[in-house]
Amino acid sequence: MTGPRLVSILRQGSYLIASIHTALDDTQMTAFQDDLVERIGRDRARGVVIDVAALDVLDSFATRTLRTIGEVARLRGAVTVVVGIQPEVAFAMVALGMDTGSVHTALDLEEGLAFLDRVVGSRRPVTTLRGGAG
Amino acid sequence: MEAAEYVAESPAGGPDAVAALLPMVRRIVAARVADATAAEDLVQETLVRVLTASGRVEPGMLEPYAIATARNVVATSWREQDRQRRNQHRVVDLRVPDPPDGELLAAEERSAVAEALTRLSERDRQALLEHEVSGRDTRALATELGSTAGAVAAQLHRARARLRVEYLLARDRVEPPTERCRPVLFALSSGDRRRQREVDAGRHLLECDVCATLSQPLLERAPQRDDEVRIAIGADADVVAARQAARDLAGRLGCFSATDLTLIATAVSEVTRNIVKFAGSGEVVVEVLDHPRKGVQVTARDAGPGIPDVERALQDGYSTYAGLGLGLPGARRLMDEFAIASEVGRGTTVTMTRWCGQR
Repeated sequence: MTGPRLVSILRQGSYLIASIHTALDDTQMTAFQDDLVERIGRDRARGVVIDVAALDVLDSFATRTLRTIGEVARLRGAVTVVVGIQPEVAFAMVALGMDTGSVHTALDLEEGLAFLDRVVGSRRPVTTLRGGAG
Repeated sequence: MEAAEYVAESPAGGPDAVAALLPMVRRIVAARVADATAAEDLVQETLVRVLTASGRVEPGMLEPYAIATARNVVATSWREQDRQRRNQHRVVDLRVPDPPDGELLAAEERSAVAEALTRLSERDRQALLEHEVSGRDTRALATELGSTAGAVAAQLHRARARLRVEYLLARDRVEPPTERCRPVLFALSSGDRRRQREVDAGRHLLECDVCATLSQPLLERAPQRDDEVRIAIGADADVVAARQAARDLAGRLGCFSATDLTLIATAVSEVTRNIVKFAGSGEVVVEVLDHPRKGVQVTARDAGPGIPDVERALQDGYSTYAGLGLGLPGARRLMDEFAIASEVGRGTTVTMTRWCGQR
């Protein structure tokens, strides 16, 4: 891949924080899905935050991909929360008749991590490095 | 006085006397001009001048006259050389010399134009030649034809458009494969958008390779419009390009909210993906509309397999690939107007419009 990175997947304790930095086409979106699912296993992640704040469009394919990631992650023992859906994007998703299915959503990264702490943390106390989470 | 009489009295003495000056003139010139050939030229020139003047020169003054003339001739030659040196750069021809096959190509061009001219109607050809070659203005032509200048101008415009098409056909020595080719190329050549829509030029270019190639120069000469974007679709990345172009163009209208723009971009994303998924390639055209209101119209067309059951494809949850089945029905909900025309084996055209203002 050349140029600036399109996505980044960072580890934060037992969580993965995946940020999409720019509009992705379907091929890139699928590659992102595969990378993330692979990282869940490798990093033994218990929670995944997907930050889509930089996306100006979440169409049916992108939504489906996020749902797939959520379902696959759940089967692999991790909880996924999508954060940063822009208000206009949310409108468009409603108009299009899409939702994120069983994937949780939160307003922003901070809320997303708090959500994971509640859900994952209640099952098993996890010591997480929360630096820079805000 | 006697010498003067001698010179005057013996006409043969003139040339002889001049000839006697030769060694001296040679010496004077040679002392100033190194190049032997140039020096000899100057010597000859000096002698010619002295000879023509010898009748007018006072006797005994021929020698000083010759010396002065030789010096002048040399000085003049220096001045000229100097001037030439200073101006030499002006005569340098910096143009690329004609390639060896240039003549041949020019001849081919000429014959293509000639061939194209013969394919015009007699009336068009006459008007065109009168105007372009003989330089007669439209008004003069109009009085002759019992018409108006405007009508003649319109006729010339059509004739030129036709000539461009016929020229391209003659140049490439192709015969249009279908009956629709000429009308489509003509509509493109004249830049008449209404006509282009009538003959469905966009669809034809997707279907007909010959016209797709021939139309390139015709499309390039059309002025770049800032109220229309055309995106060729052939890969996943073009879906993103198309929706961003649609957002940009719609955003420039200034009447859409951020949400409206996102809805438009999402709808474009859905219909463009269908092109990539089902047809492989096609095009998306985004246009600004002024009538009856401001708005944007998106036309997504392909020459793919077509949709066998359009009704079903417009139902929620109907998907032929692992999608959500929300592409077409979703796009329809996002826009104000939505029309789909599909023919199995010929392709699909989706036309959708979003008007400015509240829904």
